[in-house]
Amino acid sequence: MFQNFRLSMAWLHTWFGLVLGFVLMVVFFFGSLSVFDREIDRWAIPSSRFAPQPMPSFDQILTPAFEKMQPAKEAVALLEGRVNGPLPERFELATSWGAYTTHRDPVVSVFAGFKVPDAKDPEETVFAVHALDPRSGAVLPQGQLRIGSEFFYPLHYSLHLGWKDLGYWVVGFSALMMLAALVSGVVMHRKIFREFFTFRRHKTVQRGALDLHNLTGVVALPFHFFFAFTGLVIFAGIYFPVAHTQLHDLHEQHERVEAQATGLPHERAGVAAPMASVDAMVAEARRRWEAKGMAGDVGFVNVQHVGDANAYVSVYRAGTDRVALTGEGVHFKATTGELLREDPPRSAVDSVNEFLTGLHLQHFRHWLLRWLYVLGGLLGCVCIATGFLFFVEKRKQQHAKAGGQGSRVVDALAVTTVTGMLVATMAMLVANRLLPESLADKGAWERNVFWSAWALTMLHAVVRGGALARAGTNPAWREQCWAIAAGALTAVVANALTTGDHLGRTLSTGYWPVAGVDLSLIATAVIAALVARKLAQRARRSSSAASSAPAALKTAEARHG
Amino acid sequence: MAEPVVLLTGAAVTAVLGLGWLALAMDVHWEQVHGDEAPSVAVAKALRIAGAFALALSLGLCLGSDHPSMAVLVWLMLLAGAAAAVAATLSWRPHWLRRAWPGPRRAPE
Repeated sequence: MFQNFRLSMAWLHTWFGLVLGFVLMVVFFFGSLSVFDREIDRWAIPSSRFAPQPMPSFDQILTPAFEKMQPAKEAVALLEGRVNGPLPERFELATSWGAYTTHRDPVVSVFAGFKVPDAKDPEETVFAVHALDPRSGAVLPQGQLRIGSEFFYPLHYSLHLGWKDLGYWVVGFSALMMLAALVSGVVMHRKIFREFFTFRRHKTVQRGALDLHNLTGVVALPFHFFFAFTGLVIFAGIYFPVAHTQLHDLHEQHERVEAQATGLPHERAGVAAPMASVDAMVAEARRRWEAKGMAGDVGFVNVQHVGDANAYVSVYRAGTDRVALTGEGVHFKATTGELLREDPPRSAVDSVNEFLTGLHLQHFRHWLLRWLYVLGGLLGCVCIATGFLFFVEKRKQQHAKAGGQGSRVVDALAVTTVTGMLVATMAMLVANRLLPESLADKGAWERNVFWSAWALTMLHAVVRGGALARAGTNPAWREQCWAIAAGALTAVVANALTTGDHLGRTLSTGYWPVAGVDLSLIATAVIAALVARKLAQRARRSSSAASSAPAALKTAEARHG
Repeated sequence: MAEPVVLLTGAAVTAVLGLGWLALAMDVHWEQVHGDEAPSVAVAKALRIAGAFALALSLGLCLGSDHPSMAVLVWLMLLAGAAAAVAATLSWRPHWLRRAWPGPRRAPE
């Protein structure tokens, strides 16, 4: 098919990179934001702007909260058709209670699982999920969207395409092809070392774009490779869903055998029994970690088979001191507080898996590495964006001459995924600050603003794309840069006006989650404005050059315009 | 052991210096910085050795600050950032790198 290996690699890199690049751009950008998801949550929900708290008392704070929890109406609505008979008004039988926090969270995530009576699948469970203020035990209002951890982060791995989990599959396929793009990119790039530091921005746009594409791809190659790879490892259970399909019975049997081996009951006994003090169990777990020389912050507490004689409590450590995502779980009999099991040392396979997942999910406490991950993610964005630019620059003259629409379409999509995505993000943050707190289902409004703004940027990019027919530059790039700058500054000002947490206050009190988001927005605004100005200068230069161009060219322009 | 912030700052500085020296060992970048023809063979060799040594020192400083598994990640990411910084400097402000290594002595005109 191709004359040589390098040409076939180039074909693979160009076309898969182009098609999946649009997905990967979203994955890289919102992945970068997800590094600071908890901080963006603080910015978006002013009532959660206080210092990170340790896991609160289970007996005093969490148990009363769990006892009041009920699944949200939307979660119950999803059960329609999965139950014989009508859906219940209240769910009485709690199967599990869990509380989760990290060193960056002021609020605790609490979730209660309920058995669904008369469900077609006997294991059907419906969950109630809340954010809880650990100082008072009050749950935060449900309509408020934690934009960082509930919107940007899921967008990173699922694109919010819930139907049949399609988003997971699209992202997974893109990650797989990204690994192929990295390998094929290295094969195509003849001067990896000789041009390692090369960025010839004074030459043509095409040259500059390719240099920057190579540079950002090569210098962060380990990052790109490991993040695509570990992303796939994390979702391996989704991509190979054998445990719940082909091997369903074996999986059930394995759970039973495992329960026997660990002494952690697989089923309820069916006999009601009260719970002993969970706080005492947590204290015992911490004592055991300390004896092993490990930092003792509690990350996750789970009660299984709540209220039953077979209930057990599992206490997991927040592994902030290492990359590997480990819990060193300690498990107790809930009715007596007796120790049932301490997780044994991990096998080699587990260790590798936990290191790889921990590397991607970053539960560690290391601010420099967090920022370096943001840098890696943004270098990835630059790499993809310059890939689009190079694709268009290389072909636009030819397409303009032949009257083809190819580069116009690609350019419009590139504008939408590069600047349009930022415009949508800014619009969402501005909406978050301007919509009233009391608005029922405020989160749904914010989502609508995000998607609508993004759709508008696409329309804008398509409408303004006529310049490509004359092999020019789409002015939408410049105009959307101005929109980004304006949006980012508006968000900072709106935050100061609606919450009083202006930079003067957040910086002087050292409240970095909010100050950091504001400063990043200002930096974004400055960069976007500089880019817009540069593009405007270039547009002026090329239009004055065009006006002195020979008449024949002008007629050609008129014909295509 | 020194404070992690000192060690990590040192690691970042040595990463930039190390990659800067490795870049200067290349003819085209030496010319960008010093406006002169290629470095002599001896200078290029010295630059390469100094660069490799600085990068090794950077890794050592990372290891002094964190658990080895974390230190390797920090170092690799610092290298990515430092390489991008060196490339950007070479493109916009190449003369900044003159201080990293003395250029050839110019004959008085």
